[in-house]
Amino acid sequence: MGGSGSRLSKELLAEYQDLTFLTKQEIVQAHRRFSELLPRDKQNVEDSLRERVSFEDILSIPELKANPFKERICKVFSTAPSRDSLSFEDFLDLLSVFSDTATPDIKSHYAFRIFDFDDDGTLDREDLCRLVNCLTGEGEDTQLSASEMKQLIDNILEESDIDRDGTINLSEFQHVISRSPDFVSSFKIVL
Amino acid sequence: MDPARSRARGALPRPCNVLVLLNPRAGTGKALQQFQRFVQPLLADAEVSFKLMVTERQNHARELVQAEELGRWDALVIMSGDGLIHEVVNGLMDRPDWETAIQKPLCSLPGGSGNALAASVNHYAGYEQVTNEDLLTNCTLLLCRRLLEPMNLLSLHAASGIRLFSVLSLAWGMVADVDVESERYRCLGEKRFTVGTFFRLVNLRTYRGQLAYLPIGSAVSSKTPTSPVLLQGGPVDSYLVPLEEPVPSHWTVVPEQDFVLVLALLHTHMSSKMFTAPMGRCAAGVMHLFYVRAGVSRTMLLRLFLAMENGKHMECDCPYLVYVPVVAFRLECEGRGVFSVDGELLITEAVQGQVQPDYLWMVSSGREPSTTESQQEPPSQKPS
Repeated sequence: MGGSGSRLSKELLAEYQDLTFLTKQEIVQAHRRFSELLPRDKQNVEDSLRERVSFEDILSIPELKANPFKERICKVFSTAPSRDSLSFEDFLDLLSVFSDTATPDIKSHYAFRIFDFDDDGTLDREDLCRLVNCLTGEGEDTQLSASEMKQLIDNILEESDIDRDGTINLSEFQHVISRSPDFVSSFKIVL
Repeated sequence: MDPARSRARGALPRPCNVLVLLNPRAGTGKALQQFQRFVQPLLADAEVSFKLMVTERQNHARELVQAEELGRWDALVIMSGDGLIHEVVNGLMDRPDWETAIQKPLCSLPGGSGNALAASVNHYAGYEQVTNEDLLTNCTLLLCRRLLEPMNLLSLHAASGIRLFSVLSLAWGMVADVDVESERYRCLGEKRFTVGTFFRLVNLRTYRGQLAYLPIGSAVSSKTPTSPVLLQGGPVDSYLVPLEEPVPSHWTVVPEQDFVLVLALLHTHMSSKMFTAPMGRCAAGVMHLFYVRAGVSRTMLLRLFLAMENGKHMECDCPYLVYVPVVAFRLECEGRGVFSVDGELLITEAVQGQVQPDYLWMVSSGREPSTTESQQEPPSQKPS
């Protein structure tokens, strides 16, 4: 009957506080919300630290649902071999990067990985195209035309691609992000 | 303003002597090099002698202009973004001799990230839309040619008795916003489509407020001008009633109260790459008013911004985008509103303004405006 109870131990809480940008309350809250997504019989502490929650269930959390990049976010933080589910610690890592106190540097580092759809270490035109489509939506009538997309990506590259190699690398990305004040607030998830 | 003068043109003398105010930190920080490389040689050939004053901080230009012996100069040349021209004009209007001071010819040379005035003057001259060094060269050539044209000035009144003037624009909503959580105030400084705007679209929200305006043709002076006797001086804004009172009955009140943005614009461009008012140059005493109502999708907004580079956004037939030429407006927000006046921050609950026709002189092409709007009668200011 959930022998070890539903509370994280003091030692574990302290460890998580050390490893993340989250406060004790935020960690406790995260644990509660994560456990709610698990089957009834797995909601005790021991199991909750072992089990994984599918993307489908994680994305049902309203605060995540609202983010246009939600699928890539889950993929980047998943440590599952098939990268299709999150453990509690994956979930904590996610919340840590998206917390109020995470530095812009950390956020931009992860943003780069999130936007790198083909996981090849740079943002090329194809990545940028998929990024824009995240924002405009799935439907055919909500997407930009090919020429509009080209114009937009040309503008983005003109502003960001300093070495003019047709792609945006991490340092070019971090440089252009540092000048846009809205980046931080669009990379914030607080439960 | 004397009507005979309103369509007149002027010219700087030859030779002439100008004061150049330059912000070395504007834009990419290359303004000084660009001045020395592109501007100086052309001025020398055209018998334009100058003194260069480099500004060191915000409001420095404003203070310089307030104290300056203006009779020494045939014109004030401002090489920076639109913010510096804003400072200069407000500095001139702050002087006890504001009525003559504001007639000192001004010239805008692009040096910052928002060079809307320079881009607009470039457009009035019939030049192709260009940026950077090409725009700088065009504007310098106009200065060498010395022709002057009168320009409208937007006279603004905000809550708590704040009084200021705008040479280019007043924006509210998506274009000027505050990050409440981090308590950092900023405006969208780079007014073209940028990565920053992309993230602004991720956070797209709406803004509550009440917008009212006085369209052309309905203009009738109010009985009680809003600024009876000002210690500070400045023109009498006879279309406006005090902010505490409701707008006059012949004004149009926009029924919707949720907006994405509102923009009052005196010229055609918001930056060298944003041809915001393709309908053309405003007649004396008139300005462009645009607003975007809530409900517009991110895709449509992206589409509008992309189309705006070539002035094609009005052809997108977006039902949320509304355009009307006006002579005065009032905007009241729910709570503290963040406004961008010529790119400079203004925080207030309410602001209203009217266009003062042909109030300042600027170096321009000296061509007659060629749009249909120029055929319209400037609003007559009937005495009360």
